[in-house]
Amino acid sequence: MTEKNNVSMNILQVQNLKKDFGKHQVLKDISFSVNKGDVISIIGASGSGKSTLLRCINYLEEPTAGQILYHGKDAEQLNRAEYHSKVGMVFQSFNLFSNMSALDNCIIGQTLVLKRSKKEARERAVAYLEKVGMTPYMNARPSQLSGGQKQRVAIARALAMDPEILLFDEPTSALDPEMVGEVLSVMRDLAEGGLTMLVVTHEMGFARDVSNRVIFMDQGVIAEDASPEEIFTNPRQQRTREFLSRILDK
Amino acid sequence: MQRPVGNDFFGWIAYLLDSYGSLFLQGAGYTMLIAISGTVLGFLLGLLVAIVRTIPVNKKDNIFKKILLKTVGFILNVYIEVFRGTPMIVQAMVIYYGSAMVGINMDTLFAAIFIISINTGAYMAEIIRGGIISVDKGQKEGAHAIGMTHWQSMVHVVLPQAVRNIMPSIGNEFVVNIKDSSVLNVIAVSELFFVGKSAAGTYLRYFEVFAIIAAIYFVLTFTTTRLLRLLEKKMDGGKHYTIYGSQSASDASIKVEQGEAVPHD
Ligand SMILES: Nc1ncnc2c1ncn2[C@@H]1O[C@H](COP(=O)(O)OP(=O)(O)OP(=O)(O)O)[C@@H](O)[C@H]1O
Ligand SMILES: [Mg+2]
Repeated sequence: MTEKNNVSMNILQVQNLKKDFGKHQVLKDISFSVNKGDVISIIGASGSGKSTLLRCINYLEEPTAGQILYHGKDAEQLNRAEYHSKVGMVFQSFNLFSNMSALDNCIIGQTLVLKRSKKEARERAVAYLEKVGMTPYMNARPSQLSGGQKQRVAIARALAMDPEILLFDEPTSALDPEMVGEVLSVMRDLAEGGLTMLVVTHEMGFARDVSNRVIFMDQGVIAEDASPEEIFTNPRQQRTREFLSRILDK
Repeated sequence: MQRPVGNDFFGWIAYLLDSYGSLFLQGAGYTMLIAISGTVLGFLLGLLVAIVRTIPVNKKDNIFKKILLKTVGFILNVYIEVFRGTPMIVQAMVIYYGSAMVGINMDTLFAAIFIISINTGAYMAEIIRGGIISVDKGQKEGAHAIGMTHWQSMVHVVLPQAVRNIMPSIGNEFVVNIKDSSVLNVIAVSELFFVGKSAAGTYLRYFEVFAIIAAIYFVLTFTTTRLLRLLEKKMDGGKHYTIYGSQSASDASIKVEQGEAVPHD
């Protein structure tokens, strides 16, 4: 790949990112980049800083040091609303607006942030709800939906903003086992459709089969960043091996 | 109508209702006017205070904004503490006679509404702040993640839920205001208690008059409580949502009972 090509394909570049909570260094020096079409799974033990990393990329937490470049530009200097619409996030706990229907959850960001007309926003919202198989429930409030259904609405809400990249923080770990599949299959479709995704997950099947890269985090650093084949069949690091044997044994 | 002699209770009640009935009703009208305006204005004041007190301070904000927010926050805290920490009857005296001393002669009705509003505002500010905090943080993060500003998420996501959650407390403040507006008789506003006091003084029939006044207060608060409950029910809307037909039957819409379509949650 030529240098020029590389730059134009590059969506996000995380450079020397550090995050402290008081004295506790949670992210110690994280650098990696995300290219268009990448589906990157981030794996690692509980407390290794995976959520904090996503939250820093999305400025839900202010990084202590380091930079996030979006198409080569410092994301902090960009218009926040625009950056957020381009870098979407799906949460473990869905975070849907409980005072609105599924449909309105998918409309409100479009009208308020992207200034789309009500009509256009509605059409797109319906289209994305269709994509995640939730059109039958578009008039339901979040409290009337199951966990899997809520997560699919949350994905539609994020997609309706036309993001260039979606961050997922353990999107299936708050779900009952029988609902994990429906959400993973939506995510699989998105990956096949070419959406760039950064997925924190404990679903090793998804990491192995769907992603083109796996990042293993350990105690605030990236311990290994490689293809899924390499990580799962021939990890370089002892700690990666230990983590995988622990999690795959379960 | 003849004035009864001696301690003929029902005779006195009938006589007082006959000669003072319309005045009592007028007093009840004033009481409700004061209580409703006080609750509405107090709510708006409390909303403003609570919104200002929950503006997030960012590390990167400029120093001027930080100092301004700190100062305003301090002043608002003093307001809340003082008005919650002193009796409204005392606040009424201080404000009414204090303003007269500096040359402002307030109309008694205006003064009554003014006093009850700022008193209620202090309580409402705390109630609404509690309501804002009770909305789970995740929803604010969800709003942030799709690019909504603090204000947009407040207006569209947090406040509607906060207000719904605190409806019982708002209703309670209203009922308290119906009763506690009686202390405003000290500034001679002709609300229900004040009218009662005048009537009782005329014939020296305190027991009979205040039995009537008590009954009127009770009717006012009881009716109000029932109406507020109805309102809350209405705000919650139906338990149903409409299942939308898919492409195969786009015009079909079925009513589904809550829970029926959601066996797992
Ligand atoms: N707001 C916070 N304040 C203080 N410490 C925090 C905060 N958020 C996270 N931490 C700490 O940072 C560390 C990393 O947390 P993080 O949530 O990023 O881990 P994780 O890899 O996502 O773990 P899990 O798999 O359990 O979700 C933990 O030790 C946690 O206690
Ligand atoms: Mg986490």
